[in-house]
Amino acid sequence: MTPQDSRQESREDLRFFGTVSASVSHELKNVLAVINEAAGLLEDLALMAGRGTPLDPERLARAATTILGQVRRGDTIVRAMNGFAHLPDEPEDATHAGTDLAAILNLAASLFTRMADMRQVSLRLGDCAPAMSQANPFDLIRLLHSAMLAAFGTMGRGDTLTVSLAPASEGTRLVLSPSGAPLALPDDPGFNALAARLDTVAALDDTGSLVLAIRR
Amino acid sequence: MTEKVLLIDDEVEFLENLSERMRVRGMDVSTAQTTDNAINAVEEAEYDAIVLDLQMPGMNGIEMLKVIKERHPDMQVILLTGQATLEAGIEAMKLGAMDFMEKPADINSLTEKIKKAQAKKMLLVEKKAESRVKDILSGKSW
Repeated sequence: MTPQDSRQESREDLRFFGTVSASVSHELKNVLAVINEAAGLLEDLALMAGRGTPLDPERLARAATTILGQVRRGDTIVRAMNGFAHLPDEPEDATHAGTDLAAILNLAASLFTRMADMRQVSLRLGDCAPAMSQANPFDLIRLLHSAMLAAFGTMGRGDTLTVSLAPASEGTRLVLSPSGAPLALPDDPGFNALAARLDTVAALDDTGSLVLAIRR
Repeated sequence: MTEKVLLIDDEVEFLENLSERMRVRGMDVSTAQTTDNAINAVEEAEYDAIVLDLQMPGMNGIEMLKVIKERHPDMQVILLTGQATLEAGIEAMKLGAMDFMEKPADINSLTEKIKKAQAKKMLLVEKKAESRVKDILSGKSW
């Protein structure tokens, strides 16, 4: 790989990091906006009570439930972001303990659900047989992002994309199954380069699902 | 005069809580959670202000703004966004948004902007009425 290619790859990694960070920050802003309004409502009700308007316990409880729910939502988002941020920590040498593919799939689902929602598509996790791989976890998440983005591009409003893991004769199969029309193979040089780096072969099966055969 | 407002956002709890706070402040508030519902609401009624989330599933806020302004040029739209970048703000203003606010929004600032939107709309309606009267008068041979 030339120094120029290496710089280009680093830039692509950074761009991807930026895309995920922006999505997470956007979602967190929404969480804060809901908490802001629910807390503001409690403030309004307190002011009204001070002027003699009787307090409705059910209204108070609803506002409190909203705030608690959003705190949990925010915590889930931050945990996923934290998991993502630590992916580059994994060593790339023989000391690499192996990547838990089910954990990567779970992380991808957490990170990319908003991307699916914006395209009015549902993302769900199917069966995830336990599987370890020597593949770089950051590269795997990038590959999954690229594959899902391509899938959402061909899916219709209201469709569901189910992502699952299954053992294969050589390595593991990561399967992206649409509920509607068959998927197309990603037509993206970046995706192909990443798949090659991960020793992963992408193909469509008889059901129109995209299968990523991770060989190591 | 009671301000008539349409809130458009895909976050249900955000809509519920903000609309309740706005009603407590005397506003007449309708809500729409999807862009389809929003388009229907805009066709069915007149509003003093529309408060619109920039990032909605399906059609984004900028596209929605274009649709609203094409069909109802006098409608005053306030955009709400999780990230108020200068570029997005400029684009929104060029497309005819009245104002642009970052979430979480301060209710007092939002209320001020809604009052301004109502005043601006009333002014536009009055000008149109004046123009119609002038046309009628200039067309009559006394």
